[in-house]
Amino acid sequence: MLRFIVRRLLLLIPIMFAVSVVVFCILRLGPNDPAMSYLRLSQIPPTDEALATAREFLGLNKPLLTQYIDWIGKALRLDFGLSYVTRRPVLPEILYYFPATLKLAGIALLLTLLISIPLGMWAALNKDRWPDHITRGLAFFGVSMPNFWLGFLLVTVFSLWLHWLPPMGRGGLSHMIMPAISLALMSTCINIRLIRASMLENLNARSVLYARARGLRERTVIGVHVFKNSLIPVITAVGMHVGELLGGAVVVESIFSWPGVGRFAVSSIYNRDYPVMQCFLLFMVVIFVICNLLVDICYAALDPRIRLAGEENI
Amino acid sequence: MLRFCLRFLSGLLIILFAAVPQAFADKDTLIYSWSSNVGELNPHMYSPNQMFAQALLYESLVKYGEGNKVLPWLAEKWTISPDGKVYTFALRKDVTFSDGTPLNAEAVKKNFEAVMMNSARHKWLELVAQIDKAEAVDEFTFRLTMKNAYYPTLQELCLIRPLRFMSPAAMPEDGNTSKGIKRAVGTGPWMLVESRKGEFDLFERNDNYWGIKPKFKNLLVKVISDPTTRAVAMETGEIDLIHGAAGHGSGQISLDSFERFTTMPDYVTQISQPLASRVVAINSKRGPTADLTVRQAIQHSVDKGALVKAIFYGVEQQADTLYSADTPYCDLGLKPYVFDRQLAEKLLDEAGWKQDTAGAIRQKNGQELTIDFCFVGNDAQQKAIAEAIQGDLKKIGIKINMIGEEPDSNMNRQKTGEFGMVFNETWGAPYDPHSFCSSMRAPSHADYQAQIGLPMKAEIDAKIGQVLLSTDETERQGLYKYILTNLHEQAVYLPLTYVRGVIVHKKNLKGVRYGQLKAEIPFELIERD
Repeated sequence: MLRFIVRRLLLLIPIMFAVSVVVFCILRLGPNDPAMSYLRLSQIPPTDEALATAREFLGLNKPLLTQYIDWIGKALRLDFGLSYVTRRPVLPEILYYFPATLKLAGIALLLTLLISIPLGMWAALNKDRWPDHITRGLAFFGVSMPNFWLGFLLVTVFSLWLHWLPPMGRGGLSHMIMPAISLALMSTCINIRLIRASMLENLNARSVLYARARGLRERTVIGVHVFKNSLIPVITAVGMHVGELLGGAVVVESIFSWPGVGRFAVSSIYNRDYPVMQCFLLFMVVIFVICNLLVDICYAALDPRIRLAGEENI
Repeated sequence: MLRFCLRFLSGLLIILFAAVPQAFADKDTLIYSWSSNVGELNPHMYSPNQMFAQALLYESLVKYGEGNKVLPWLAEKWTISPDGKVYTFALRKDVTFSDGTPLNAEAVKKNFEAVMMNSARHKWLELVAQIDKAEAVDEFTFRLTMKNAYYPTLQELCLIRPLRFMSPAAMPEDGNTSKGIKRAVGTGPWMLVESRKGEFDLFERNDNYWGIKPKFKNLLVKVISDPTTRAVAMETGEIDLIHGAAGHGSGQISLDSFERFTTMPDYVTQISQPLASRVVAINSKRGPTADLTVRQAIQHSVDKGALVKAIFYGVEQQADTLYSADTPYCDLGLKPYVFDRQLAEKLLDEAGWKQDTAGAIRQKNGQELTIDFCFVGNDAQQKAIAEAIQGDLKKIGIKINMIGEEPDSNMNRQKTGEFGMVFNETWGAPYDPHSFCSSMRAPSHADYQAQIGLPMKAEIDAKIGQVLLSTDETERQGLYKYILTNLHEQAVYLPLTYVRGVIVHKKNLKGVRYGQLKAEIPFELIERD
């Protein structure tokens, strides 16, 4: 198991290298001149002289390869430069805002699991009856609804009409309800369908038929033989949901003025604050990759078939 | 295993649901909102310091008052030498910074020196380039010597930045504030007491303030980046006040949300006097607009009335000249270009821009009458205006190429002159007309690039140089008349609207008004019933 984890960790090195190249190049493919962005955000008139000084100051007058090496060299020492807007080091800024995003995404994930698992099971156990139809309808409806639209709907109903919930900001539990629901709805609906399908597959498995033949109680059959086995694809989905939720937070945080890294990223993109954009992209990739790694480890821990196959291959 | 899972889940719940103490909202706190935190509030620097907040803490020698008058402020009175170069200010003797340090000539001098140390950064402001010496004559007398008799000196001393004063005790040891300050300490009516990134900034009343003390004890400025969220926050009582520009981009509120508030009986809405002018600069050197007749025809063919009604919901006011008549030196009685499509078509026909069939694009010597209209692509308001103008010009046979781009690309076009038409805005009081006119001489500005094809451009620039250094009021009037009349007659600007600020608040607030400067909000006058 340890070897499995070490191997996966070592794989991170080439992945991060490739990502850093893509991130660096993709931001330079556009028609924008970072020196011009720097001057605009510093409110310095963009004279030729000012542009030349800014290019030199930012190292943009060097060949692209040298620029990349300079950037990655500093990035390896966790120095992503100064934000053009706040004039503060970028990484501490992102780390300052990240816990708020993690909190929101964590609650959304919890909601996703708490709602989707019982509903998915309920639908599967009542296949082709009204609970199944209702759940499937809801799931279809939820998957089709963009989170920003749901956010505005919730604000209209629960803040403007009913005055039950605060429309924005960070505070107590009440501040989290609407952002978390907006964020969680899509993942919840995907998960409901996934659990339903997985449960149905396992319900028809021979092992379940055999368990019933052995005279086991229906509760045990469902709980141990069906539900546990149905969780394997759900774990994969959870890994993806974490990414979805963190990505979705970019929009939801702006709507609800949630002080997280997503809103910070949106304003940086709007301002073309290159150092922040680069650091944010790399940071999110690291989070995605780590989530995938954790999912793989859980997978291997839960399913001996995967673990053993993995070890045989080493 | 089950026990472990339960413990883990309950731990997670405690961490996740632990309530963050909510920023207090009581009767003695006025709640406003802004799109970002206010910054460290360095009085001598720019972004990320927010101007409205700099004005809460820091004060200037003189204040910009109603009717474009310069009033005494931290300086009780002043004298100007006959050659217009030496300004001697007598400071008030009862002013202390909020940390208890007295405001005296030495403190003023240190602040001027801090600005001068970083003069390259303030190049945009002619006043800084014109300062020769700043001296403390005695404890409460401060003398400013200029290199030339720069007439807008007093007006530019009213600006919110960079020539306002912080406590010398809060400056860095070397006095160079451009590298950062120890604390934000000024003489103003408010003190910054707490900032939480992405959440709020909290100001407290300066109880030792020498002037009118704020009625509220606290001013909480919440960070709300989205104008729609701000409108919702207003309706749900999360904030008490919306005060600032309306519209896309840096606007406090969208124009349609503002219009909605005007119909709601529980809210008071106000619209300010014109703050600045929204114009389209027309390139006099590149493409068909190098022809004066084409520029004049454009002026006659845009239906500004419809534009004001449909896009600005009547909030902004139709503009017919570059500056509104109440701007100093600008009440010149210039004849507006009336909206008259037939006249526009006649002008184009006479100039040889012929149309083969009705609705076709006009041509002259094989050249199509096509103009590049450049705007910021994600600015919904600019896009809507450009589309309206495109429709209007199509009716007289002018084709508009819509070029919506990133802000930086648009800025680059302004700098290089690669545009046919481009959006522009004047700077508002107290910059107008002198600072905006002054910037017309800088090649990096769209104004310079738009005007470069004018036969009298060199003379306009020379007259701008003269007017800034003229000490004779009548001469100044004459010079401005020449500059502004020529720009008007040469049709190099298509004035669209006069930008106005908006205010929305609940009926229980009193004393909400506009400041004399665009970014100034007189919170100290506001009280709750």
